Amino acid sequence: MGTTAKEEMNKFWSKNAKLNRPMSPHITIYKWSVPMMMSITHRGTGVGLSGAISAFALAALVLPGNYPDYLDMIHSLSMGPYLIGLAKFGIAFPVSYHTLNGIRHLWWDLGKGFRIPEVYRTGYTVIGLSIIASIALASL
Amino acid sequence: MAAIVRLSSVCRRGVNPLFYQSTLLARPLVVPHKCQEQPHLLTARIHASQALYASSGSKAASLHWTAERVLSILLLSMGPIAYFNPSPVVDYSLAAALTLHGHWGIGQVLTDYVHGDTKVKMANAGLFLLSTITFAGLCYFNYNDVGICKAIALLWSK
Repeated sequence: MGTTAKEEMNKFWSKNAKLNRPMSPHITIYKWSVPMMMSITHRGTGVGLSGAISAFALAALVLPGNYPDYLDMIHSLSMGPYLIGLAKFGIAFPVSYHTLNGIRHLWWDLGKGFRIPEVYRTGYTVIGLSIIASIALASL
Repeated sequence: MAAIVRLSSVCRRGVNPLFYQSTLLARPLVVPHKCQEQPHLLTARIHASQALYASSGSKAASLHWTAERVLSILLLSMGPIAYFNPSPVVDYSLAAALTLHGHWGIGQVLTDYVHGDTKVKMANAGLFLLSTITFAGLCYFNYNDVGICKAIALLWSK
């Protein structure tokens, strides 16, 4: 008596796949909002960071030599301060954004901050702090 | 351990027992008007054990959710610790926490976008392999190379 949410979901997908139904347009027609964009950015930065860590780990296993030598190799390319700063920002921003928005998620998990004005307020705060933190980190 | 109360034995007016014999109802017996003259016999509750509820009563998903949040908070605290107190212990803890947080995170992404039993199984197997390699690689780096904390410090000093 009664099915689990998981069972219901599986029934939905298998039925629609069996009937070969196309997926209804959703992200192509729905108006984008700041919360929507922040949510997918949180996911994107998460997947990106995870991929980068995995790539680093794989490289550590596969490539010969050690880390400081590779750093010296990169340093010898002498990219100039701006490019280095940009690269640091490129690393710092996903980390900052994912961390700060992660705290926002934990706040929601406590049941707080769900009213729409609060969602936007905390959202803009996360974006602002992320940019500031990334610039600060990149200039270290 | 289901306590099935056959109302027909309790209520001598021949109430249809099937209505009251469901073992999956976890609410007090519905008392038909006719039986109210015997209230002392009708305080029994019909309830089902966890085993009967198996699929809908399992706490696995809920516990996983909580574990994800605990790990997130743990990982948050490791940031300042790694900055102020870098050490091999922190290196290995960071390796474990980062890998597990990433593993569970990508797991949620797969749950959202991958459908169909076989595809789900394949995707999760691939993820497990990736996470294992990631953890192995990070531990190898911690052991044979400068370690995560030092690596970030060196990277930033350039």
